[in-house]
Amino acid sequence: MHKSLKKYFPVFVMPVLAAFTVSFLAPFAMGVYLSFTRFKTVDSSEWVGFENYISIFTQDETFLYSLWLTVRFTVVSIITVNVLAFAVALLLTRKLKGINFFRTVFFMPNLIGGIVLGHIWSLIINGILGFYGVDITYDPSYGFWGLVVQMNWQMIGYMMIIYIAGLQNIPEQINEAAAIDGASPVRKLFSITLPMVMPSVTICTFLTLTNSFKLFDQNLALNGKNAETSLLALDIYKTFYDHTGLRLAEWHGIGQAKAVVFFLLVAVIAFVQLRVTGRKEVEH
Amino acid sequence: MAAIEFRNVIKRFDNGKVTVIPDLSLEIKDKEFIVLVGPSGCGKSTTLRMIAGLEDITEGELYIDNKRVNNVAPKDRDIAMVFQSYALYPHMNVYKNMAFALKLRKVPKKEIDKKVRWAASILDIEPYLDRKPRALSGGQRQRVALGRAMVRNPKVFLLDEPLSNLDAKLRTEMRSQITMLHKRLQTTFVYVTHDQTEAMTMADRIAVMDKGVIRQFDTPQKLYAEPADMFVAGFIGSPRMNFIECEIKRRNDYLTAEFAGNSLRIPSAKTKALEAYENRTVILGIRPEDISAYSGGMNMQESCVITANADIAEMTGGEVNVYFTLENSRCIARIRTERKITSGDKIKLLLDCNMAHFFDKETTKAIGRI
Amino acid sequence: MKTRRKAFNAVIYAVLILLAAVFLAPVFIVIMNSFKGNFYISEEPFTLPKDEKYVGIENFIKGFTQSDFLQAFLNSAVITVFSVAGIVLLTAMAAWYIVRIKNRFTKMLYYLFTFSMIVPFQMVMYTMTYFAFELDLNSIPGIVFIYLGFGAGLSVFMFSGFIKSIPAEIEEAAVIDGCDPIRTFFMIVFPILRPTAITVAILNAMWVWNDYLLPYLVLGSGEKRTLPVAVQMALTGGYGNKDMGALMAMLVLAILPIIIFYLFCQKYIIKGVVAGAVKG
Repeated sequence: MHKSLKKYFPVFVMPVLAAFTVSFLAPFAMGVYLSFTRFKTVDSSEWVGFENYISIFTQDETFLYSLWLTVRFTVVSIITVNVLAFAVALLLTRKLKGINFFRTVFFMPNLIGGIVLGHIWSLIINGILGFYGVDITYDPSYGFWGLVVQMNWQMIGYMMIIYIAGLQNIPEQINEAAAIDGASPVRKLFSITLPMVMPSVTICTFLTLTNSFKLFDQNLALNGKNAETSLLALDIYKTFYDHTGLRLAEWHGIGQAKAVVFFLLVAVIAFVQLRVTGRKEVEH
Repeated sequence: MAAIEFRNVIKRFDNGKVTVIPDLSLEIKDKEFIVLVGPSGCGKSTTLRMIAGLEDITEGELYIDNKRVNNVAPKDRDIAMVFQSYALYPHMNVYKNMAFALKLRKVPKKEIDKKVRWAASILDIEPYLDRKPRALSGGQRQRVALGRAMVRNPKVFLLDEPLSNLDAKLRTEMRSQITMLHKRLQTTFVYVTHDQTEAMTMADRIAVMDKGVIRQFDTPQKLYAEPADMFVAGFIGSPRMNFIECEIKRRNDYLTAEFAGNSLRIPSAKTKALEAYENRTVILGIRPEDISAYSGGMNMQESCVITANADIAEMTGGEVNVYFTLENSRCIARIRTERKITSGDKIKLLLDCNMAHFFDKETTKAIGRI
Repeated sequence: MKTRRKAFNAVIYAVLILLAAVFLAPVFIVIMNSFKGNFYISEEPFTLPKDEKYVGIENFIKGFTQSDFLQAFLNSAVITVFSVAGIVLLTAMAAWYIVRIKNRFTKMLYYLFTFSMIVPFQMVMYTMTYFAFELDLNSIPGIVFIYLGFGAGLSVFMFSGFIKSIPAEIEEAAVIDGCDPIRTFFMIVFPILRPTAITVAILNAMWVWNDYLLPYLVLGSGEKRTLPVAVQMALTGGYGNKDMGALMAMLVLAILPIIIFYLFCQKYIIKGVVAGAVKG
């Protein structure tokens, strides 16, 4: 069989490989190369070595600011999303009628795309701030917390599902044993339930981490115009496309260098994620 | 309905780095039921898969029905195969599983239906024709796999450990059903197993394989009575044959095999071959069932009485398996006795000299086999 | 004991209902505003569309006609359907080949596909756009091809995982029954892959339908724009006075298909989306 299948490479693999090469492999390789050049367009690149990487930290004021903002946003999101999702999951694993309805409702926002989602929240947040005569651009912290609220609205239902799966994996006998041993509900939560759902906690933590770190659409739609509330992905986008004029070539090189640094950060996070979660998977 | 012939077939894996079958020649007659038996990794499955065309032949030639098939695709070899895991198509019901090969060959619908129902009635799976494989028991799946092969009416039937996933009772039942099927279909069967009982009960001829080499290819009776070497002797028969180191000595007009202070008179039929081994060490082989409890008054020329310590005695119903140690080799005797034997007992055992086998210690080949 | 438990459950229900209200409120508010006059949306976003504020389906009519919403909707639908169909079929084929033909090249391909999953879009954003324009892929069929390339990573990864668990014996049985590789794939392997295919289809559908930046860069904001691009343009475009009523109607129309899809295939979606996340 496998002898005869081997000849079918052009049929089975070629279409995907061609598309993959055009949309990922070649752009990736060229992206790495361009980060070491100064270019207005791809055809007119000029080798500058590590100059772009140095410029990120010396010439460009936005990168470190966005990085710090992204880190703060990520940390706050991880904590709020996971605590709330876990609490909701605890409520929804009780044997009550109508649980499915709540599950459906809580998961729903996850399916709404980032752009639409951002504009919905923009209306609401600006509506509330309107009572005080200001809007979301008035104070960067409004924008920051707006992003956090939005992230929670979108991610809680998602993480909740993973936590529910984790909670349902705890054998009933362990809970019964704890009840016989006379553990109080709070004690049970911290000494039995939490340790048992640690695999889910790890997965959810990293999922929130990568999702927050790479956030773009929601950021663009909610408060994209404000530089003070631009996360890293949006900042890179702006470095490429919001500059005009003579120094365009310089900014393209810096943008690409930022993208490489961004990629390396995400790669490190993903690598740690693989290491920590190992092959743990949630059963359904 | 076809003969199969291997001519000096060699099989290497991993770009020639690993040789699984160094040099295989084997002739299988038309309509024969052949069992390839051996421990796991002996190359028996590879041999079967070469017949099927699932594995390439590195060197040498393979003929089916006098036609060289080295480069013939599996579907054009007119063979059918039953796999160890049954390999039923999980998304098709039983009927479609069985009809699939015929449908691919564009057999008319009416004829397909006739053949599927014919196979289903023989195998007793008619009530399950519209069930999916996952709704069947292991035994039922096994029968569907057989049925899928039957409807093809192939020249050669290949079976790769088809019973190893069944429980013991079902296995015995299916054994006789497959034998019956062979009689009924009148085709060549090649059957792979690691279970010597299956081989012995089903085969016309058995090929015992070890490390890619056929050690002996013969009828079950011959394999049992005249094993070619220690490997075959040890593999065929259960519990396995006892091997005891002994020295050949001459006593007046006859030879004896001496071990642990015991002396066994060599029957005249084997004397000639063993003369060359006088004063040398050979391996004496005796099957557990050729050892009995000694109760006195026997012809001492034909047998040998030894005294042993029963390390363990296991009751298995009509018989007792007695484990004892002789010359550092662990031995088993399967004896019928009224007397109760318990572990630690001193017992007298009678070895049947006419059933003794002798093997060369270096080559492990049987001595005196023509 | 029993009454205490009952009281406790009542508290839980109260909390859940409150939470559900909070979760539904944003969508509700948008729907509510889509029936209100322009002025009232920005001035009183949290009031009901009553009396003089109520304008019926006027906003929806405007949303449809003014911004050529229908065109964007159709573009998105066509792109999503073809991309998802292409990704599911072609990546399943590639994954089967990669898993069954074991050599250094296929192993390398597998690692490259897996690797592509962790690379953020911004890394290839500029250069990918360059290639898309150089190769004339800045069209609807072109972006389907690009989506195939971007979707390949996760999809090949998910299919490979499942294919590894299918015993090769089933495929060998098919070969003996008379299948060539093409038939083995379409008649045996692909039907067995069905559960994973559904998951892959849902994940990619959600992604392509909601994706903004890639179609914006490749197709622009002209007549080939997709729904998210149209929404973004309408809300932030520099046409001076924004017609808030039409925008609200657009938001509602953008959410509606997803919610209907969700209510019908909820079970598959939750399972699929979470399985994808946990594996990816």
